[in-house]
Amino acid sequence: MQWLDGLVQGVLLGGLYAQYALGMALMFGVMRVVNITHGDLMILLALVGISLASTFGLGPWSVLVVLVALGGIIGIILQRLILNRVVGADPLPSLIATFGLSIALQNAMLQVWSADTRSLPSDGLAQASFQLGPLFVGVLPVIVLGTATVLTAALAVTMQYTRFGRSLRAAAADVEAAAMTGIDPKAVYAGATALAVGILGFAAVFQSMRATVSPADGAFQLIYAFEAVIIGGMGSIWGAFIGAMVLGISQSIGFRIDPGFGILAGHLVFLIILALRPQGILGKG
Amino acid sequence: MTAKTLLSTHDLKARYGDFQALYGVDFDIAEGEVVALIGANGAGKSTLLKSIMGLIRVGADMVRLDGRPVGGSKPHHMVADGVAIVPEGRRLFAGMSVLDNLRVAVDHAAPGRGDAWTIERVHALFPILKEKQAVPVQSLSGGQQQMVAIGRALLNQPRLLLCDEISLGLAPKVVKEIYQSIPSISANGTAIVLVEQDVGLAKSSSDRLYCMLEGRVTLTGRSADLSREAIGEAYFGASHAVA
Repeated sequence: MQWLDGLVQGVLLGGLYAQYALGMALMFGVMRVVNITHGDLMILLALVGISLASTFGLGPWSVLVVLVALGGIIGIILQRLILNRVVGADPLPSLIATFGLSIALQNAMLQVWSADTRSLPSDGLAQASFQLGPLFVGVLPVIVLGTATVLTAALAVTMQYTRFGRSLRAAAADVEAAAMTGIDPKAVYAGATALAVGILGFAAVFQSMRATVSPADGAFQLIYAFEAVIIGGMGSIWGAFIGAMVLGISQSIGFRIDPGFGILAGHLVFLIILALRPQGILGKG
Repeated sequence: MTAKTLLSTHDLKARYGDFQALYGVDFDIAEGEVVALIGANGAGKSTLLKSIMGLIRVGADMVRLDGRPVGGSKPHHMVADGVAIVPEGRRLFAGMSVLDNLRVAVDHAAPGRGDAWTIERVHALFPILKEKQAVPVQSLSGGQQQMVAIGRALLNQPRLLLCDEISLGLAPKVVKEIYQSIPSISANGTAIVLVEQDVGLAKSSSDRLYCMLEGRVTLTGRSADLSREAIGEAYFGASHAVA
């Protein structure tokens, strides 16, 4: 029974990781940019959300709306101000730029919010649970998983069937040819990053409701997002979702084996998949 | 030739880093005209097209569209102004279907130019593209891919279509099929620049012809009036003239 419980809890945990991983998969898929600030931006949004909730008495769902919009704006600024200058065939400049930004952002957050851990009041949602056969399932994790599934499906449909999605895919395939076909690459890139950071608004609310956040936590979220994207196949939207599930289940089963083994189990599964199927589960080639 | 000049270049100089590729090229094309651009490899034909399209930085006054300086404009602004390109090597969007490749051009067509070209018209021009519309472009043959590239450029609704070596690497039968589409494209009022290695093909399918050598224009005139000897001299340089 504890293994079944581990599996269910793992899928629910995967829902949260999927929300980290989607934006990373999108940015990598379209621009070949690995955004090292990905985790820090999520923490930044979470801390802003917690401050908003305590200052203005906003409930978690109002905070969510504000953070998604704010994430979109931050994404456009990040792209226009920094990433458009370093994006290109060579992945190193963007890696270095976002690495530097990550350190600067962590220290700026420490200055503003100090190193204390904080969380977002959930109006009792984080404690609520229901019985499903022999298992007790938390209401919040189910909402998180449902949200992740809807976000993934919506992003996949956007990529496949909309004008914006076609522009993104065309720019991903050959950005110069896309420009020659009338696409403004910088506008498309700004849209992709706005979407990626906007999705982090969801992750920020759920992460700070179910647990705590502090300014230095971003690195962990970055690693989970990165592992999920690699496991699923770099740049693939549904791959990121599946990769997040694999990572969540691995950690959850690992925790059942030994409470100290959970995170390591996730890393081990990641390394095994990297060795056996380096292109990822849904990756081609 | 009373038609209005659509696009012209003036003392156009272009360079890749330290390497100068164009040494003051004067070129012009009128509305609805078909102009061929011939020359050996490295003569600067593709560089000229890239300079026009905004893929290489050049001075604003070096390229004029409707007499307006447009040199150095971004490629997507050139498309919006009615210039489209069939790039060398086709440069299709791999991983996307034939139809989606065409739709990207429809999405970003030059505004205010109506819809002279529709996906249905492109299908009528190249029927195989309708049959293969759901297929990923990378699985098409070279000739079919070239048809997608041409269709994609047409769906940008260009007034000026730049074609960079559309016969390169294709079987003679396919080349013939593709060149048969040129008259119906220009019948639409679209001016066409054809960069071509095959001198005979260039001569027979154009109104006027420019020959380039080492970054300069060495010969220009009405295609029907130019002799093979004059073209040979301009193509290889006077010292290597073929008898």
